[in-house]
Amino acid sequence: MNRCLFFLIGLLASSPVLAADYLLTGSRPNSLHMIDLAARKLVRSYPIPGPGVPGAISVAKDAKVAYVMTNHSESVVGIDLDSGRQVFRADMSTPEERVKSMFGMTVSLDGTKLYVYQIPTRMKRNEYVSLDTRIAVYNTADGVGAKPVKTFPAPRRIALLAPTANPDRVVGMGWDFYVFDAKAGKVDQTHALRNWQRKGIGEPDVLSMWHQYEQARVLSSPYYVANTDADPSSPEGFKVGILNFDLDTEKVSYAELANADTAIFSSVVNPVKRNEVFTVMNQIFRADMAQKKFVQRAELGHTYYAINISSDGKELYLGGALDKVAVYDTATLTKQGEIGMPEGADQSISSMRMIQR
Amino acid sequence: MGGVIGCTTTFDPGWEIDAFGGLASLCQPMEADLYGCTDPCWWPAQLADNMNTSRDWTEGKNSALRDWRELQTLFPED
Repeated sequence: MNRCLFFLIGLLASSPVLAADYLLTGSRPNSLHMIDLAARKLVRSYPIPGPGVPGAISVAKDAKVAYVMTNHSESVVGIDLDSGRQVFRADMSTPEERVKSMFGMTVSLDGTKLYVYQIPTRMKRNEYVSLDTRIAVYNTADGVGAKPVKTFPAPRRIALLAPTANPDRVVGMGWDFYVFDAKAGKVDQTHALRNWQRKGIGEPDVLSMWHQYEQARVLSSPYYVANTDADPSSPEGFKVGILNFDLDTEKVSYAELANADTAIFSSVVNPVKRNEVFTVMNQIFRADMAQKKFVQRAELGHTYYAINISSDGKELYLGGALDKVAVYDTATLTKQGEIGMPEGADQSISSMRMIQR
Repeated sequence: MGGVIGCTTTFDPGWEIDAFGGLASLCQPMEADLYGCTDPCWWPAQLADNMNTSRDWTEGKNSALRDWRELQTLFPED
């Protein structure tokens, strides 16, 4: 009996602990939240020091520190998810130079480097001087008061940054996809979007503001584009599609899926069925990228900006805009639950990031 | 990216009328989009600029759906 008990205890002790899915999001007043998705419960809130609201959120693979864009898009704050302490802070502006960053911020997968796309303006007494855009590289180990260890030029209009498998390579999504070699401080690869040359297809229009690529490691976005072979006044004249950038293989794929008759904000790839993409705004759509069409839709009670997905591909999490994260079943697109933000505060433009712990 | 990011000069339909000339693809309800546009300064004519000139417009008004009556009108001289 005792031998059996010791064997069982030994087995349990040597088994790897299965990590569960948690969701990180933010809300007013400048707070970061962690949601236990299995329990359908907000389990911890972290006040973010300083003014502003939380925007882009980025977490390394170890899920220890969440980096949050805040202070009216002029600072990145790192919050230790266990202690709740501010362990990193980069205030980008100086009295002479105002530095904004929109959603272009990411930590490398190994957690050592933070990349921020910066839009600097020289604040002169009688005029503003728009300076060249750039990517700033921080060592996350530099903690509170961190300064860039390097900056290098980056094209204008980059909306998102995302980490490749290599800590020294980072992807920027702007008018085109750029893969930056941070060591060399330059663009290494450009994958054309706005500059694609496709017969019968115009320039894609993309609203890329949401970081939701960690589950499938695919940066996905809806796009709208003119079908120049069709009568512009016909339903065929404008199309909606999905474009995907695989962050590990650094390959781009895209497909037009339907006539453009409704707006879509953002999309996420199913990590288990990688041809399946879900989109959100006033409806959820399921897209089949192999069949190149939307195959299912469900109406929503209100607008959501952001969408993310569970590690097993069975649940969708909708959020952003108002004050709730809604849980939907991926097979039926039916609502399974809802988690409210503290005091009904709006999430607005905050990211919704999946972590495992 | 079709639009310039941040305090844009975008005055195209999109807040009052959707991209298809209707209402169905506007955010629903409109309060759902209120802070999501003011925070990154998306519609600078229609909404306050939370990034630069009106940083405290929503201070203490954490829910647009609940608190919109308390949001103040802004005038250029403010």
